[in-house]
Amino acid sequence: MVTIYIDGKPYQVDAGQNLLHICLSMGINLPYFCWHPAMGSVGACRQCAVKQFRDENDTRGRLVMACMTPAVEGLRISVQDPQAVEFRASIIEWLMENHPHDCPVCDEGGECHLQDMTVMTGHTYRHYRWKKRTFRNQNLGPFINHEMNRCIQCYRCVRFYRGFAGGRDFDAFSNHNTVYFGRKTDGVLESEFSGNLVEVCPTGVFTDKTFRKHYTRKWDLQTAPSVCVNCSLGCNTTPGERYGQLRRIRNRYNFNVNGYFLCDRGRYGYEFVNSDRRIRQARLRRNREAAFESVAPDEGLQRIKEIVKKSGRTIGIGSPRASLESNFALRTLVGPEHFFSGATVKDHELVTEAIKILRDIPSSMASLHEVETSDAALVLGEDVNNVAPMAAYALRQSVRCKPQAISQKLKISDWDDTAAREAVQDQKGPLYLATIADTRLDDMATRTFHASPQEIARLGFAVAHQISPTAPQPENLDSAALELSKMIAQDLKDAESPVVVSGCSLEEKSILYAAANVVQALRSIGKPARLFLTLPESNSLGLELLEPGSLNQAFAIAREDNVEAAIILENDLYRRSNPALLEAFFKSIPSVIVLDSLDNPTAQKADVLLPAATFAESDGTLVNNESRAQRYFQVFVPQDDIKESWVWLRAIGDALGQEEPGARKTFDGLIADMVKELPFLAPVQEISPASGFRIAGAKIPRQPHRYSGRTSMHANVSVHEPQPPQDPDSPLSFSMEGFLAEPPIEQPPASLIPEFWAPGWNSIQSLNKFQEEVSGPLIGGDPGKRIILPPDPEQAAYFDEIPEPFASRAGELLLAPLYAIYGSEELSIHTPGEAQLTPPLRLEINPRDAQQFNLTGETVLQVSVDSQVFELPLHISASIPEGTAGMICGLPEMPYVALPAWGKVTPKPVNSSTENPG
Amino acid sequence: MIREILAAFTGLSTTLTSMLDKPVTIQYPEEKRPVRPRFRGRHILHRYENGLEKCIGCALCAAACPADAIFVEAAENTDAERYSPGERYASTYQINLLRCIYCGYCEDACPTEAITLGLSYEVSFAGRDKAVYTKDMLLEPAGPQGKSTPQQTPAGVYTRSVPVMENPAD
Repeated sequence: MVTIYIDGKPYQVDAGQNLLHICLSMGINLPYFCWHPAMGSVGACRQCAVKQFRDENDTRGRLVMACMTPAVEGLRISVQDPQAVEFRASIIEWLMENHPHDCPVCDEGGECHLQDMTVMTGHTYRHYRWKKRTFRNQNLGPFINHEMNRCIQCYRCVRFYRGFAGGRDFDAFSNHNTVYFGRKTDGVLESEFSGNLVEVCPTGVFTDKTFRKHYTRKWDLQTAPSVCVNCSLGCNTTPGERYGQLRRIRNRYNFNVNGYFLCDRGRYGYEFVNSDRRIRQARLRRNREAAFESVAPDEGLQRIKEIVKKSGRTIGIGSPRASLESNFALRTLVGPEHFFSGATVKDHELVTEAIKILRDIPSSMASLHEVETSDAALVLGEDVNNVAPMAAYALRQSVRCKPQAISQKLKISDWDDTAAREAVQDQKGPLYLATIADTRLDDMATRTFHASPQEIARLGFAVAHQISPTAPQPENLDSAALELSKMIAQDLKDAESPVVVSGCSLEEKSILYAAANVVQALRSIGKPARLFLTLPESNSLGLELLEPGSLNQAFAIAREDNVEAAIILENDLYRRSNPALLEAFFKSIPSVIVLDSLDNPTAQKADVLLPAATFAESDGTLVNNESRAQRYFQVFVPQDDIKESWVWLRAIGDALGQEEPGARKTFDGLIADMVKELPFLAPVQEISPASGFRIAGAKIPRQPHRYSGRTSMHANVSVHEPQPPQDPDSPLSFSMEGFLAEPPIEQPPASLIPEFWAPGWNSIQSLNKFQEEVSGPLIGGDPGKRIILPPDPEQAAYFDEIPEPFASRAGELLLAPLYAIYGSEELSIHTPGEAQLTPPLRLEINPRDAQQFNLTGETVLQVSVDSQVFELPLHISASIPEGTAGMICGLPEMPYVALPAWGKVTPKPVNSSTENPG
Repeated sequence: MIREILAAFTGLSTTLTSMLDKPVTIQYPEEKRPVRPRFRGRHILHRYENGLEKCIGCALCAAACPADAIFVEAAENTDAERYSPGERYASTYQINLLRCIYCGYCEDACPTEAITLGLSYEVSFAGRDKAVYTKDMLLEPAGPQGKSTPQQTPAGVYTRSVPVMENPAD
């Protein structure tokens, strides 16, 4: 800590930190453009100029760039100095020279950093009155709109896209007044983090194209804190609604989880909420052959009551994409012994196993932020770019940690981005990728290893053994793998905070064990190694924590125990199990009750269908891959008869006259019950204040104070203004009225901030007012709490379930699951842009196998696995290991097949009919 | 004394002269009083000469409205179906005239001079639901040289997000 003087006032600050970072952290407004809290300083825009004085007698001083000046003891600067103020205003005028005056139609208007900074510097009238420079804009695909005329050449976009997100197809072109940021030719931006350009760009060059299709002003959006449902990482988001339609998703900062960025799947995967396929009314039918008829909710409940009352037994099937509360409500309704996991049988086993592993070593669970700051990483099995994209972003940053030693040796501060990168050049920290095939992270990897799931697990076991000889050793490891395992072990041992990333995507338990062994081995030699496991879905962990039975058990009970009714919660079982098994299951159950938001094959099997709310229309808790329970809040009140699943389930309980323990009538009561029954879930109660929470007697408004059209927007329904909807479940209100946050003076707790806004800071850059320190945790602690908590139990024993070496089979290939960022996930595919980028169905085969099977170029293959037969076009890919074949799973056209599995592959007979696959 | 009597007559003479004057009352509604040129009456949404709407759906009027009486929803123009020369147009435009306080902030906020407060002051309604003026009620009819909207326009003509405009004359 050193003392510096800003405008004569002493401040205690971190030595060596740059002055811009310090000023913003201290609450002093200083305009900037090229600096970004996550990307450091480059000193390009000259906007953050302050005056520095030699000592207290110096009255002349000199202008310095705050972002490039480190704090040293006794430093004296002035932000208010007239010369500095004038300089900053003149820089804005200069930047604005070519900036069009199109704010009224600009999508960024109202949340524009350039607008904010222009106002902040006091610059109002421009002297420039000649023609402005113009550019041709590019079509950058379905997500990003390009409007180059608005560019102020801060270079943030290209720095983010190339330097941080690792994209290659975007660059800065030309020079002088015509610097151009874009691609060489029009086309879809390849990086899965391209959506962040919208938030990184300080003005309206890059704007959200999906938002543009249903544009509304930023100040007209009703927002609430939310959590992404499109993968297991649980990135924090801020969805915005207007007029009953979810309009867009923006990032919500969480120091431990997603920081400043989101992936495109999460950012754009919201459009299913507005889908035509939403179930909006309760539906009934007399028998399975009859058509559905829409009925009033009460009639639906009445029918359910009749069904459940007369039946001896009702089973419940939960869902890894429904909230913890909804799953618990179902569990209570049907009883724990009749509650089954809605995940696939394999996922159920794997996640249960992952929970066991995490419980053995809770103190070494890595958060996403910890992955980002680890200096060596081993990825076992996961294609993170497609399974959990933000983890890929974190790993990309992690390779920059170790080489920091080079720049630090040259006394270059870490925030001095250009200088540090110049010093480091192409040096990268250790990152080892053991995957089935190529990944988009390969360019960062020290070494890659492509092999079958078993071999990946064996490599992991070998690494563990190399680190600590007490760990079991795989037999008959081939020499290349042995050599690699030695190299990996050495790098992990040399690192200060190594991380092992693994997960469930290859559906191979032994990979989890191998990852756990590596971490255990490293910890046994005193390294603070961390484990990061990705899981299948947004609430996989939460669901399995409720200890449900597996789907197969549900099928068995249905077959044997004359179950009368099944309640299926937010789950399309046709994505979870073999269609033949499901047909038998539905046949054996007289009454099927389905709660879901989108029409799907399972909903088509229902006898009673209840319209469930999506994440944007409900309150709930999701437990992410590191067991962090995070609350999401209802953004808007859905139209029609849509209700939250736990509300439906509670109503069913009521109709049955079930004795309600505690006050389960309310959301708070439900959570209290849950904690009472499962005490280890206690953190769920603490992640956000209860619904009775008020600040100065007021609720926290979801609508900004500038919200427009209140008195006329519902005039087509009734000119009498309706009372704003009441929200008994949270301390937020569906209104403009309530406590107006005035950061940093007074603001709601971090878990309840509907939107980051501070006076004078309308863009996302307002975050600095809500953080303890720039790019640090939010004031009062970041939202979310881990459920699996330290202290660790006794050092657990090593796993020794080492799989046999992979042996190829004659005439068969091991079909291994591959994933696509757009397509493998159930909900995001409903966004037209994501559907457009979904890869085609195909079977990827190694060229040598193709040769062996006599398969060439354009063949369509017939693939038979167990009793299922599919037709898939052939795709020859050199990165697929011999003896295996890759199949992108989860695509909407594909029926479920349990992978990895051995399959027979033959060319499709010429005269066979083109039936649907399966 | 005399002065006081005189004063009374002076007063009476004013009354008597006024009796001979033309009355100031007018026979409303048969007769209508002209208003000042800058009178702020009921809103009008304007068109260009070619009939395209001036409103580009930016919703700044709605943001400026202190009574929250304006509701705007924007949609994108295409050359096949063009309403305004900009990127967007107002697909919904509603003003609740019961809430409007005729302050004219909407007019001030409008970047294309699309909305003005007209001279019409006859805003009374038989029912409250009649007080909500929708876009078709507010939009002026296309002029003699213009077509109504939506229009089909040639590609590449309307490429600017804000239409080219002269500087305001007054």
